[in-house]
Amino acid sequence: MEQDILLSVRDLRVSFRLDKLSKQAAFEAVKGISFDIPLNTTVALVGESGSGKSVTALAILGLLPEENATVLPGSRILYGGRNLLELSRAHLRDLRGKDISMIFQEPMTSLNPVFTVGYQIAEVLRLHLGLSPRQAQARVLELLNEVGIPDPLAKSLAYPFQLSGGQQQRVMIAMAIACNPKLLIADEPTTALDVTIQKQILELLAALQDRHHMSVLFITHDLAVVGEIADQVVVMRAGEIREKGSNDQVFNQPRDIYTRALLQCRPSPEHRPQRLPVIEDFMQAGTLPPEPAERSRGLSGSEPVILEVRNLGKSFFSREGFFGQREFKAAHGVSFRLRRGKTLGLVGESGSGKTTVGLTLMRLHEATTGAALFEGRDLFAMPKHEFKAYKRRIQIVFQNPYASLNPRFTVGQILCEPLLIHGIGGSEAERMRLAHELLERVGLDEASYHKYPHEFSGGQRQRIAIARCLTMKPDILICDESVSALDVSVQAQVLNLLQDLQDEFSLSYIFISHDLAVVKYMSDEVMVMNQGEVVECANSDEIYLRPRHPYTQRLLNAIPKAGERIRGQINAD
Amino acid sequence: MLNTLSSTTPTSPGLWALAWRRLRSDRLAMLALAVVALFLVTLLLSATGLVAKNWDAEIGVNYAPPTFVGAQSAEERGVQDMNTAEALPPENPRDPLAAVIRQLRAERAVVVGSGGAAIDDYGIVDPLAGEIAEIRSGQGKDHAAAAIERRATLPFGADKWGHDIILKTIKGSETSIVVGLSAALLATVLGTLFGAVAGYYGQWLDDFFNWFYSVFTSIPYLLLILAVAAVLQQKGVLTIVLILGLTGWTGVFRLIRAEYIKHKSREYVLAADAIGASDMRRMFIHIFPNVSHVALVQLSILSVGFIKSEVILSFLGFGVPVGVASWGSMLNEAQNELILGKWWQLAAASVAMAVLVTAFSLFTDALRDALDPKLR
Amino acid sequence: MTAYILRRLWQMLPTLLGVVVLVFLLFNWVGGDPAYILAGKMSNPEQIANIRKQLGVDEPFWVQLWIFIKQIVSMDFGASWSTGETVSHVLATRLGPSLTVLVPLTILETLLSIGLALGVAYVRGSLTDRMVMIACTVGMSISILVYIIVFQYVLAYQWGLFPVQGWGDSFSENLFHYALLPILIALAVGIAPSLRLFRTFFLDEINQDYVRTARAKGLSEKRILWVHVLRNAAIPIVTHVMSNLPALLIGAFLIERFFSIPGIGREVILAVERSDFPVIKAITIYVAVATMFFNLLTDLMYKALDPRVQLK
Repeated sequence: MEQDILLSVRDLRVSFRLDKLSKQAAFEAVKGISFDIPLNTTVALVGESGSGKSVTALAILGLLPEENATVLPGSRILYGGRNLLELSRAHLRDLRGKDISMIFQEPMTSLNPVFTVGYQIAEVLRLHLGLSPRQAQARVLELLNEVGIPDPLAKSLAYPFQLSGGQQQRVMIAMAIACNPKLLIADEPTTALDVTIQKQILELLAALQDRHHMSVLFITHDLAVVGEIADQVVVMRAGEIREKGSNDQVFNQPRDIYTRALLQCRPSPEHRPQRLPVIEDFMQAGTLPPEPAERSRGLSGSEPVILEVRNLGKSFFSREGFFGQREFKAAHGVSFRLRRGKTLGLVGESGSGKTTVGLTLMRLHEATTGAALFEGRDLFAMPKHEFKAYKRRIQIVFQNPYASLNPRFTVGQILCEPLLIHGIGGSEAERMRLAHELLERVGLDEASYHKYPHEFSGGQRQRIAIARCLTMKPDILICDESVSALDVSVQAQVLNLLQDLQDEFSLSYIFISHDLAVVKYMSDEVMVMNQGEVVECANSDEIYLRPRHPYTQRLLNAIPKAGERIRGQINAD
Repeated sequence: MLNTLSSTTPTSPGLWALAWRRLRSDRLAMLALAVVALFLVTLLLSATGLVAKNWDAEIGVNYAPPTFVGAQSAEERGVQDMNTAEALPPENPRDPLAAVIRQLRAERAVVVGSGGAAIDDYGIVDPLAGEIAEIRSGQGKDHAAAAIERRATLPFGADKWGHDIILKTIKGSETSIVVGLSAALLATVLGTLFGAVAGYYGQWLDDFFNWFYSVFTSIPYLLLILAVAAVLQQKGVLTIVLILGLTGWTGVFRLIRAEYIKHKSREYVLAADAIGASDMRRMFIHIFPNVSHVALVQLSILSVGFIKSEVILSFLGFGVPVGVASWGSMLNEAQNELILGKWWQLAAASVAMAVLVTAFSLFTDALRDALDPKLR
Repeated sequence: MTAYILRRLWQMLPTLLGVVVLVFLLFNWVGGDPAYILAGKMSNPEQIANIRKQLGVDEPFWVQLWIFIKQIVSMDFGASWSTGETVSHVLATRLGPSLTVLVPLTILETLLSIGLALGVAYVRGSLTDRMVMIACTVGMSISILVYIIVFQYVLAYQWGLFPVQGWGDSFSENLFHYALLPILIALAVGIAPSLRLFRTFFLDEINQDYVRTARAKGLSEKRILWVHVLRNAAIPIVTHVMSNLPALLIGAFLIERFFSIPGIGREVILAVERSDFPVIKAITIYVAVATMFFNLLTDLMYKALDPRVQLK
């Protein structure tokens, strides 16, 4: 089927200089890609970090940072018979916001903090359509209404910080569709949002695309989201296009081995293979590895309890008025039992208090109420010096692999420090041997010992962080969003490592994540938290098949499912 | 999304080594560093007495002009010498009478002061001029006889006593740079220590240091320095280092405290807590290396600022004692010489200071860029 | 709002007490016995004992501190040690000349620096930008003393464009005759650092995401700078200018001294030269109080400029 083409990208090549001062060679972020965006179509550009997808999007509107990005000669971006890359600045400005508009990943920082929302939307209308302030004001209210913001009049006078993340993104969308553009570029528009909000925004975008007969270029790292919204899919990796085709074809008969790998290595709520497939396996073998056997999870009830938490509560206080203080309950009334060798999944959206529970268990915050019984002793009640001996029994792996390792320490120092503090390993040589063993165990080579964290990728750094915990041979490992910052392919590797370690050392995990599919995959038991409270706790298969609490149901409902397209409407929720 | 590509070099450079590498590729920074180094080497040479040891030898005639200007006739000089004597009686620190004159002047000031008359337009009219001239005329002959064969011109000219300007400038750099660097070091150490404790521990310690900080910053910095200078009767290099250092820690404190607050909740510090590292260990072994670049840049900025402050204080006579060469006292002398058309001392001191401070500032900028964590 | 201001005033008390104790210790303990300074060399023990009694320094420290606090509250520091003029009169008459120079100076410097910094930010990264920045660095490296000495000598003494020094009685004469060269010199000295600082404020804003959004909306680079960036950068700029005002009062002392402008800064220098403790103490305390009020005012301005700020 031939469609009319709205915009085509031809042989686009973009090079970046990473560091202005050093003489590091420029590297090519986009290596000659071509694709088309047909009229009235949603095209998804998918790829992991470093794939060049965002660079491509910014290049279309000429928004690449001028200091260090260069579009190489021979590249063309054709729109309405003109090459956008050769347009004068003035002509390009006429197109921006009018014919082609764009929304970004972080709505909070993408809006100007010191102007009202209404002013910022009206600015586009006045610039491109020449509306009077009064006309613009009326149109702003219409637009805010259209993107589903309640009480448009009041909200148009609000400043961005007074709106929630979802509402901010709706404002960005209102601004983008204000002049009825032909193309809307959405660069990871839902990545910074909670899963329930993400669903609403996706539905809104689908409805608007339909109603305004516009095309959408949707950029994302999340294949599942793509499945819901895209007509056509372009898969990118390392600056090249691996595959392009219709939604149906890419999801059901992927031709490229990388696309297949991407589809397989992300845990899905339906399957729980023994091991997740890893992209390297695919790429090396060139074919799909055999489907691994399913793993069964769940509690029988007979496993020994290793940690019992009763009525844990943590409040933060902020000063208010002259003498008063306001209490904010980050978590309260949290009780659970953790069993040896099993995983307790802790799932919730931002602000649910799940991370607070993890930090409080480690006494990185002091608990306000409650008790944590470990081998019959209350961890919260014992004095600090006594707790030090228990510290090594419970360890934690944090979310951000770039922040959790001290950049001034070598990997060797990072691994030997806990050994030194807890007096494990009698001599320097003994500690070095232990550290080397652990490095090997988590899949890093020997040379890593003398390197600094900045020389490793995100996944490798997370392995180092895991190795650091293992030095102390803990009984319990808290994984606080430990794989959330990683690309899907790397995420699979780290999840596999965690699985193996649990099998080998019969570790107990408290697995904290906002990602329901990952929690389902890893956990025997799942606890759902909302606004500081536990709303539901059950065996993981049970909770996914038969959620009882309405909040759990809503959460599960919002998980993007590849291949199920949204035929959304406004106010669908 | 542009992760830095992990290099495959066999050696593993730490972050300091990477910053140095970045700095080395900046030509302007290297040039600036070379200039600063040149000043420091000269300073070492002069401090050890290898250079400018005899700066106070009167080797030229009074106000000997730079060689490229050419010598002046004796009458010209003579006339102007008289003018000088009228405008401002020269107080040569090496003059055997200097101590007497100073004492006289101090006593007279008190007499005039307590007498209730207003001293205004300080320094323009000296009530002691007559007396000094009298005393001097008695001693003048010995003085002239002692001076043997003075040169009519010097490469960069001479001051009113015939001291070689270039040697005087070198000797003067010693005071200015030593004061600037040591005061900056003192201020940075204090600010870092206070900031680390306040930022890391928070709570009442933070409240206490914040109070301390707000007390010090409520008094404008210059006023504080002048007030301290007013009460400290002893002048000297150590005094001025203490004045500048003890009042200058506030800026460092604010930055380091903010860094500690930021870093103490970073995941690597939480991880250190989780593995059982003590407070001291977290504060100094984990966090400090990660914030030390802020202290280093501040040290550099403060050095520049204190060199400038020292010049002003010495100019006003609140700095180093009379008889110690410093750029500030050179400018003070030059101020009056300029009216007589003797611009060389002014030029020498200003150019030397401007070159050093420019180089130091350019290097500081480059250092800040090279150490900027955003760039790695 | 009122509650906030009241609370801030309440919180000033410990700071003020700290300043008072600091100044007290400085002048009554670090500096040694003030009686010796006042009495000078021509004094015998009886005279000194007499002066000690007059000054109250023979009392215990806490009584002296109490006397000091009473002086501050009643604004009565007695007479200057060297001129006999009452300290309150000194303060009252010296403020006007200082402000005559400082107010136009601050306004001109701020506006000029903003304009120039925006211009440089517009061509950021270019050769012009680099050259201006290096010129600023060089300009800042030359001592303020050199600017004053040379400008006064060349412009006033040799060319006669301005009066060499002096101060009159009429405000307009002072502003348009005597203050011109001082303001010009202070501008020449002050613009380079402000320009550099404001430029970094602008560049920080230019790298924010909302500027990318503004570009994606099709706004011109000029509008982005003058409306979106300037409005955001105004927050740190105003804070910087406001919080520097009290320090400027003292900071202009060199200018006032060279041009014989009877302002606060020159008064400080004269007082330090004459060891005139009552005047220094009074100026220090009252400038500190003014600084605290300016800080409060700065925070209120901050709130007015930045909708995100909630005053608690």
